[in-house]
Amino acid sequence: MYYQTSNNSQFMQDEDLLYTILADLKRTVREYTTATTESSCPTVRQMFTQLTNDTLRMQGDLYNLMKQLNMYSTSSKALRQDVDKSIQDARNLQQKNRQFVQQKTSAMGQYAQASNPYQQQQSSQNPYYM
Amino acid sequence: MQSNQMQAITGKELEYIVDSISNEDLLIKQCAATAAATQNPTIQQACQQYIRSLDHHIDLLVQAIQQHQPLAPTSPQQ
Repeated sequence: MYYQTSNNSQFMQDEDLLYTILADLKRTVREYTTATTESSCPTVRQMFTQLTNDTLRMQGDLYNLMKQLNMYSTSSKALRQDVDKSIQDARNLQQKNRQFVQQKTSAMGQYAQASNPYQQQQSSQNPYYM
Repeated sequence: MQSNQMQAITGKELEYIVDSISNEDLLIKQCAATAAATQNPTIQQACQQYIRSLDHHIDLLVQAIQQHQPLAPTSPQQ
C-alpha cells in the first residue's frame, strides 16, 4: 500500500490525483475528436487526428496503470441473459433495417443495384450479410 | 504535412487550437503536481512521461498556428 492514511499533509490521495488527470484526458480526447470533425484545412485535420490518437493512447495507458494499482474498479459484469437479449435485439433491428433499405432501394432499378460495390463486398466478406 | 494541402486557417480552427493548448497546459500542471505529491515511483515516472508527450502536443499546436500565419488575411474576408 502506497497510501499513508496517517499522512494528512498530502495534498490529495494518489488515486484522486490520477483520477483528475484521467478525467481530463477523456475530456481532451472528446474535444480533439470534435475539433477533427470541424476542421476545414487538411493539415489541421491531420494534426487533430494525430492528437486524438495520441491522447487516447495516453488515457489507455493511465487507465491500465490505475487498474494495476487497484485504483480503478470497473462496473460489474453483464449477465448472460442481458448479453443474449442484446444480441437478439440487435439482430431484429438489423433485419428491419435491411427490409427498410430494400424497400427504399428496390425502386432504384437494376443499374443502381449492380453498381453497388459496397453491398457486393460486404456479402462476400461478412457471413452475417446473407 | 504537405504544404500543397495548406489552407488559411478558419476562426473556428484557431479557437480549437487555442482551447487545446489550454487543455494541454492544464494536464501538464496536473501531472507535475501529482508527480510532486506522490511517493510512488511508478506514478512519478508515468507522470514525467505524460508531461513530455503533452509538451510535444503543445509544440504541434503552436507549429500549426505558425505554419498558417503567412496565409492569414490581414483584413476580414467575405
